[in-house]
Amino acid sequence: MNDPRAMEARATNTTNDDMNTRNCEHLQSFCQCAEQRDVIFYYVGYFSQSIIAAMADAVKLRVEYVGAASPTRRKLFSSFIEMAQNIVHYSADHYPNSDRAEHEIRHGSVCICTVGDRFYLHCANPIQEDNAQRLREKLEHLRTLTNDEIRREYKETLRSDTPEESKGAGLGLLTMARDASEPLEFEFGPSSRPGNVMFCLKATI
Amino acid sequence: MNNLFIAATASSPEVDFRFDEHRLSLKGEAYPEHAAAFWGDIIAALRDYLERRDAAQPITVQVSLAYFNSSSTKMLFALFGALNEKARAGTPVTLDWFHDADDDTMFEFGQELHEDFPALTFRSQVIEE
Repeated sequence: MNDPRAMEARATNTTNDDMNTRNCEHLQSFCQCAEQRDVIFYYVGYFSQSIIAAMADAVKLRVEYVGAASPTRRKLFSSFIEMAQNIVHYSADHYPNSDRAEHEIRHGSVCICTVGDRFYLHCANPIQEDNAQRLREKLEHLRTLTNDEIRREYKETLRSDTPEESKGAGLGLLTMARDASEPLEFEFGPSSRPGNVMFCLKATI
Repeated sequence: MNNLFIAATASSPEVDFRFDEHRLSLKGEAYPEHAAAFWGDIIAALRDYLERRDAAQPITVQVSLAYFNSSSTKMLFALFGALNEKARAGTPVTLDWFHDADDDTMFEFGQELHEDFPALTFRSQVIEE
């Protein structure tokens, strides 16, 4: 073992092993932290239609595995899709070239936690500061409605013209409010991007 | 005219419109990225078929959607609206609306359709396990 190159190689291996151990610990503590906080699904990154479809599979398996009843699973799935598609349509953080592409790609995060028989869906993405006020008013209004009023408004919106600013049917938030067992919660926080605020939404199923 | 068949994908349903047999079917999950474009093409083909035929040959529509997203709901309303018009003009149209026994959301959406489109013969069908 007097060959200096062999010594060097061994030294490099040792360093790599140490690093691998540290990385592994890093990931393990991250996973433990998520588990302690009752996280069953978490994703942060770019959202596109195909990424959503793949995640939809993962979410279905996961909520089935944790034993959610099928009406709960359906509501969770519905709210998950609405949140994820909102990110694709409305996040202010575009993937650089997605403007030119047929399929939009935008950045955000989703998280599903469960405590007892309750499920909590969270999502977050930056939005233009100018759009925050309108969104706040919409959500504050939804929070004042009873379940019957939510259903009534859903029915009315279903039969009315689509609002101009909507890329869907203007029914996404109402659909989430309908599926949730508590009023939707939301928050606008600071964003590192100029002219943006971080929009966070929480639905309890 | 040509039948319309679109194979299912992860986020869009199978569309099997057999215009020659007057049997239309939708099956699967629907959360396409651009709901207006996806459903728009289907509704256009349906309208084309409805305009071309005036015989009193009954039309059967079978819908078995396990899930559709909020932006698909309005487009579905437009689709059933077109069928309802045809039914009002004298063509018998039957809508078989399939849903799981414990799927209240899907059951209730069927009831909405039943209310809004009274010319359709609406049949709520529970999917057998």
